[in-house]
Amino acid sequence: MTSATSTEQAIELELQSVSKSYGKNLAVKSITASIPQGKVSVIVGPSGCGKSTLLRIISGLDFPTQGSVTFNGAPVRGVPEGLAMVFQDYSRSLFPWMRVDRNIGFPLRHISADERRQRVQEAIDAVGLKGKEKLYPWQMSGGMQQRAAIARALASHPKLLLMDEPYASVDAQTRADLEDLLLDIHATLGVTVLVVTHDIDESIYLADHVIALSAPPSVVAETVEVDLPRPRNQISTKQDPRFVELRAHVTSLLRSH
Amino acid sequence: MRLLRDPLSQNKTIVLGVAGTLGVLAMWELLIRSGAVSKPGLPVPTRVMAQAAELLGNTVFLNQVFTTIGEWLLGLGVAAIAGILVGGLMGAFPAVFVAFEYPVEAFRTLPSIAVGPILVLLLGAGVAPIAITVALSSIWPILLNTLYGVRGTDPTAVATARTLGVRPLGLLMQIRLVSALPFAFTGVRVAASIGLIVTVSAELLIGSGQGIGGYILLASTNAGNLDGVYAATIIAGVLGVLINAAFALLDRTAFNWKKGLAQ
Ligand SMILES: Nc1ncnc2c1ncn2[C@@H]1O[C@H](COP(=O)(O)OP(=O)(O)OP(=O)(O)O)[C@@H](O)[C@H]1O
Ligand SMILES: [Mg+2]
Repeated sequence: MTSATSTEQAIELELQSVSKSYGKNLAVKSITASIPQGKVSVIVGPSGCGKSTLLRIISGLDFPTQGSVTFNGAPVRGVPEGLAMVFQDYSRSLFPWMRVDRNIGFPLRHISADERRQRVQEAIDAVGLKGKEKLYPWQMSGGMQQRAAIARALASHPKLLLMDEPYASVDAQTRADLEDLLLDIHATLGVTVLVVTHDIDESIYLADHVIALSAPPSVVAETVEVDLPRPRNQISTKQDPRFVELRAHVTSLLRSH
Repeated sequence: MRLLRDPLSQNKTIVLGVAGTLGVLAMWELLIRSGAVSKPGLPVPTRVMAQAAELLGNTVFLNQVFTTIGEWLLGLGVAAIAGILVGGLMGAFPAVFVAFEYPVEAFRTLPSIAVGPILVLLLGAGVAPIAITVALSSIWPILLNTLYGVRGTDPTAVATARTLGVRPLGLLMQIRLVSALPFAFTGVRVAASIGLIVTVSAELLIGSGQGIGGYILLASTNAGNLDGVYAATIIAGVLGVLINAAFALLDRTAFNWKKGLAQ
């Protein structure tokens, strides 16, 4: 992930005419998309258009009714190595019998205790949960639980990070901080990121490209390349005329479909 | 349950409870001693209490109490292991559930104590037939609670574990069984009380004079020592209350986290 001039992008994830039906209900009609390695891709789309379903399929938890998903060229048959996922149901995704530090350390259960403790502490500090290590998930507010779920995903140093509306329950300031934290981690670790969000500003702020989905039965309305420079900044990037232009464009995409 | 308009302080509750119990016992004593109720064989509270105090200082009787506790623990332990194992497998694998559903339903309704005499025939009298009778009667709440606990595991927790690289066996042991443990433990708690009652009953029916039940049997037939029968029965009851309190305490400390289960 070095040269910005290279036109050939390594494709990590490839979705080929993926469709998914639940019984008679066609949730996802046909999605074709590429998620390039080391980039931030963002999926936006109306509620119920199959965003969570797509993430489940990409993560190998579920399988498409038709079409195929390939990860580094090989078809996805189970959960790919090096994947971390932040679930939309973050509160149910934390294990209720583990305190916060054990929840966050769970993906690291195979490394030495010392190293694990250090990585857990880093992740806890990064999301601003210092001092909450010994709480059970149900003793924390929704926003704190969400941050714990994000910390768990970050602590595992994934190669592919999937996040399903990861900032839905935090206040605006925390949200901005966590967006920047994600961009930081992306810049330092070069992880491939795929985020689902409802927030158009957020999608453009984070993304290298935005995949806009139509209302169900869903198809890709358009893939929008975001050519804003990095590192990005909550104030200056959002004032950039190009940002304003892209925002108007994505907004119109979601309106007309 | 709200009986009073304003809740009482804990001290007041205890004082009132003790006073009420003592009052009823005193009245009972008075009724018998005054001759208002006269029927031979009725317990006189003070005499039963005195007898109970004597029994608790008697090493022979205390050994019988320990025998009962031993039989009970053995039966309960077997029931807990088998119940959690079978219930866990039934909860996790639909095929196992279908295979065992009818046998479980059929055996569950059998009065386990009726199997006792057969067990004595097969195994001879002693601890084994009693412990097995206890296990047969106390396995059901454990098995069923574990089954529904495992089946009710949050699918998101399972999906999360899968994305974190937990394999099918790990999913069962580390996620589904763990999240079912508070339910399994509630089953063990219920089973513990049932099991103690069955232990003493089995000692009475198929025992050979061991345990609290054995003492009750001897006291009632050979010696006609009715105060002894009443005292031993009360001691068995108090033992049950203590066991239940211990399990409740364990429940609160070990499974404190279950407040977090989305039920
Ligand atoms: N397990 C399931 N069984 C049946 N239908 C399902 C299931 N999961 C999802 N669906 C259906 O698939 C469609 C897409 O659901 P999905 O959760 O993927 O939407 P989404 O885009 O993530 O919505 P939101 O933005 O509200 O989270 C919906 O119509 C939903 O009812
Ligand atoms: Mg969703």
